[in-house]
Amino acid sequence: MIIYENVSKIYSSDSPALMDVNLRIEEREFVTIVGASGAGKSTLLKMLYAEERPTRGNVYFHRNNLVNLKNRHLPQHRRQIGTVFQDFKLLPKKTLGENVAFAMEVAGKSNAEIQKATNQILDIVGLSQKIDKYPGEVSGGEQQRAALARALVNKPKVLVADEPTGNLDPISTWEIMQLLLKINEFGTTVILATHNKGMVDKLQRRVISINKGRIARDEAMGKYCI
Amino acid sequence: MFAKLSRTFKSGWKNLIRNGSLAIATIGVITITLFIINVQGATVFANNTLLKEVESRVNISVYVNTEMSEAETLKIKSEIERYPEVKSVEYISREDALASFKELNSDNETIQRAISELGENPLGAALNIRAYNPDQYQAISKKIEASSFRESVLEVNYQKYRGVIENLNKEIKSNQRMALTLGITFSVIAILITFNSIRITMYAHQKEIEIMRLVGASNNYIRLPFLWEGIFYGLIAAIIAIPLSYFYLKIVATGDASGSVLPFSNSRFIQSFLSGYFVENALWIISSQLFLGVLLGVISSVLAIRKYLKI
Ligand SMILES: Nc1ncnc2c1ncn2[C@@H]1O[C@H](COP(=O)(O)OP(=O)(O)OP(=O)(O)O)[C@@H](O)[C@H]1O
Ligand SMILES: [Mg+2]
Repeated sequence: MIIYENVSKIYSSDSPALMDVNLRIEEREFVTIVGASGAGKSTLLKMLYAEERPTRGNVYFHRNNLVNLKNRHLPQHRRQIGTVFQDFKLLPKKTLGENVAFAMEVAGKSNAEIQKATNQILDIVGLSQKIDKYPGEVSGGEQQRAALARALVNKPKVLVADEPTGNLDPISTWEIMQLLLKINEFGTTVILATHNKGMVDKLQRRVISINKGRIARDEAMGKYCI
Repeated sequence: MFAKLSRTFKSGWKNLIRNGSLAIATIGVITITLFIINVQGATVFANNTLLKEVESRVNISVYVNTEMSEAETLKIKSEIERYPEVKSVEYISREDALASFKELNSDNETIQRAISELGENPLGAALNIRAYNPDQYQAISKKIEASSFRESVLEVNYQKYRGVIENLNKEIKSNQRMALTLGITFSVIAILITFNSIRITMYAHQKEIEIMRLVGASNNYIRLPFLWEGIFYGLIAAIIAIPLSYFYLKIVATGDASGSVLPFSNSRFIQSFLSGYFVENALWIISSQLFLGVLLGVISSVLAIRKYLKI
């Protein structure tokens, strides 16, 4: 369970990125966050994996207030969350396979485990042919799928995906969405930030609309309307 | 746990290899540092051994008048034995003194002939005094000079070792100062250079470190490769420095030491000392060089990690 309690984030005093956000996300929920560019979607997600801390308010993750999270407990917290970053954050000097394996190495998994899980997840996102390619040698969409594979490879309880379909064609987008839905069905909470109207409307899931840092709408079976 | 350790170990090694010529320069500087420390250490050690050797030979010989009877001499002996500084007093009878004098000069016919022509024993009895501590000889010698039996004593021989010991002590002090200065200076340089190499590795891995953090790498997992890198620099340097100093000391020990940079006082003694020194102390030397190398590496890594890897 994730709770945002009166959360504000102010990077620079003239325009706050988030203002008095109150939000509650249950376990196994599938939540989509929509909003114009600069609305504060990424900022909202960054609070969850504690890349940013709120200026005011509290963020609870399984009852732990992330505002009080000690730096040394940060790694443990982040390993519970799989993250697809808006800018992918793939390492250019590692192959796609190595990039995915990296997230497991960091968690101290055995080599055999890593190889098995890496192959499996790359197969699922449709990249088994590109396992030895470097990020610079594949398309934006393929990089995005590799980033998704890395987020999923540790089987996290919560998946945070910031524009995971931004560079994909409609068919690939739909495939990724099916994948996210399946992951959600298997018990992972999915929190998704996106601009993709068609996709949001088809999903028929909870949609939270953000406008200039405030929650404008929160609907159980929402549509994309800004 | 083991997987993590071996992974950080491997990436530490990869980082070192990728540093290329910088890594070679770093290892070179640590090698020179360890070499200098080792050779300076040998110098100090050699001079200390020499000092101990000289000190062990130091004693005060009191030569008693030839007229004194054995009983009277033994009385003086027991009086000296009562001095708190005195460890032991050895009585050398007139006959023993003559015998050892003859033996000492067995090659010298003139002396041999002179003695037999004399007919009687020209030597008096002697007392060899040893103190607990070499510093106490002066006090003992003064006490004898002021004693009631001073009249019965022909000669108190103490002065002849004093100069040697004083010189040696002075030399050892300056050796130690030089060893310390050189050791510290080079260690600081080595640490600075290693620190810089590790900093450059960190800079090259900025993005990787950021992503590691975001995907939940523990702080130690992020830090360890840099610690390993420092340890590798130090270990490789020690592995080079050990044979280097061995051959160097061997050359000094077997060849002519006059052109040597070592401030050795007694070159023949030092040569014979050094020829055995490395082998006799091999275990100690090798382990301390490895330890020092690793220490220099660890200090550099820890400094770099604390300064540039704020977690
Ligand atoms: N690190 C930062 N420093 C200063 N300002 C920032 C920082 N990150 C974001 N902002 C500002 O905060 C606001 C919200 O940014 P955010 O990235 O959350 O928007 P977003 O909804 O994710 O936009 P997009 O759809 O373009 O990704 C923007 O005005 C942005 O300029
Ligand atoms: Mg964003």
